[in-house]
Amino acid sequence: MSERSYKTDALVLYSRNLGEADRLITLLAWERGKITAVARGARKVKSKLAAGVDLFTYGQYQFHRGRTLDLITGQEVKEHFAAFREDATLYPYGLFLSEITDRLIRSEEPCPEPCALLLEGWRLLCDETLPDRMLLCRAFELKMMELAGFCPYLQGCLQCGTPEAFFFSPRQGGLFCSQCAGGDTIKLSAGTVALARRLLEAPLDQVRLLRGFDLQRRELAASAAAFRRYHLDIGELRSLQLLRSMNLLP
Amino acid sequence: MSFPEPLQKLIDEFCRFPGIGPKTAQRLSFFLLSRPREEAVSLAKAVIEAKDKLRFCSQCGCLTEKDPCRYCSDPRREQKLFCVVQEPRDVLRLEQTGHYRGLYHVLHGALSPLDGLGPEELRLPQLLERLSQKEAGELILATNPNVEGDATAAYIARLVKPLNVKVTRIAFGLPVGGDLEYADDLTLSRALEGRREM
Ligand SMILES: [Zn+2]
Ligand SMILES: [Zn+2]
Repeated sequence: MSERSYKTDALVLYSRNLGEADRLITLLAWERGKITAVARGARKVKSKLAAGVDLFTYGQYQFHRGRTLDLITGQEVKEHFAAFREDATLYPYGLFLSEITDRLIRSEEPCPEPCALLLEGWRLLCDETLPDRMLLCRAFELKMMELAGFCPYLQGCLQCGTPEAFFFSPRQGGLFCSQCAGGDTIKLSAGTVALARRLLEAPLDQVRLLRGFDLQRRELAASAAAFRRYHLDIGELRSLQLLRSMNLLP
Repeated sequence: MSFPEPLQKLIDEFCRFPGIGPKTAQRLSFFLLSRPREEAVSLAKAVIEAKDKLRFCSQCGCLTEKDPCRYCSDPRREQKLFCVVQEPRDVLRLEQTGHYRGLYHVLHGALSPLDGLGPEELRLPQLLERLSQKEAGELILATNPNVEGDATAAYIARLVKPLNVKVTRIAFGLPVGGDLEYADDLTLSRALEGRREM
């Protein structure tokens, strides 16, 4: 990859101010994995880049290789997700998808599957008919973990293989049956385990058809948090803190 | 190769500035050292004086010499009209248009939790308190027209709902993404006039 400039489809994961009028953008690109690049002058109102470097944008971007950071030299927006900016209650869910993706996907290798998953996640979240946003977030997290090679094992007991395994060990990243479970496990209800398997295996848009009971939602939240803390070294996600402060978490 | 210690210290200090990397910091340092001593002293004095004499207004949060600031203490300004902006410099920007005669409220940022800016970091309790104390009639949200600014506006609109204040968002009529401070006077005046209820 020695060419001076390149072009790729990408999703804006993260965007923050840099210096006087620039933006520092983190993108997830189909052909290039995670890219951090500078959009010069993007905060000027008349900038041609301004519209394309905002969070939650899907577009085609042109880059110029820099010595330290690449420069974004052109962009063409393919899809804007305006709902994230208009609906205060939607914004933190969008941030959740960004935060999870940012933590899990780190390489500069092509990543068509994570890109497709994130794009589908944005589309589903912005669809007003989606019944349960948090359930979508859970499904998204499990699927992104699987793509990143971090997924907990949910098929059956890690030790003996029986499908009747309802004890989740965050440390060992999987389920155990009552015989094999050690002391560091979280006891889950059968419904929660079944729901988690469905979330992981079914296509993402199937979350439209799934419902979680309060108990299942709480158990999923606790298991996911413990797993993240142990394997990804992530404390509480900032998007979840925002959801909590907006009273959107049960 | 390493620089003499006092020079390295100066370079490190410049490196703290937004948008200044080591290269630029070196350039600034060498420039400063090439100038007469009086210039360096006068720069140092200006920094200290600005820091000592300016503070954030305890009411609106803008930069001021006296507290409360001249906007908050001016009885001729409309006392029931509030305008929320992200940064102190946005107040100056709106003042330059000469089109706004109400009070201000500076958040000192926008909702951007991934950068560590959650609702607790913005001056929101103060806003709620001022709105109810002054029995505000209208709250104009003039945060930047990007995702963080819009989401902040939507967040505040939701937050102040119980107060029954009319909440409006300035209209930009421009592509999204730019910062308020870079809009020209005419655009800003039009944005204020064309504000719509949220
Ligand atoms: Zn077992
Ligand atoms: Zn003031």
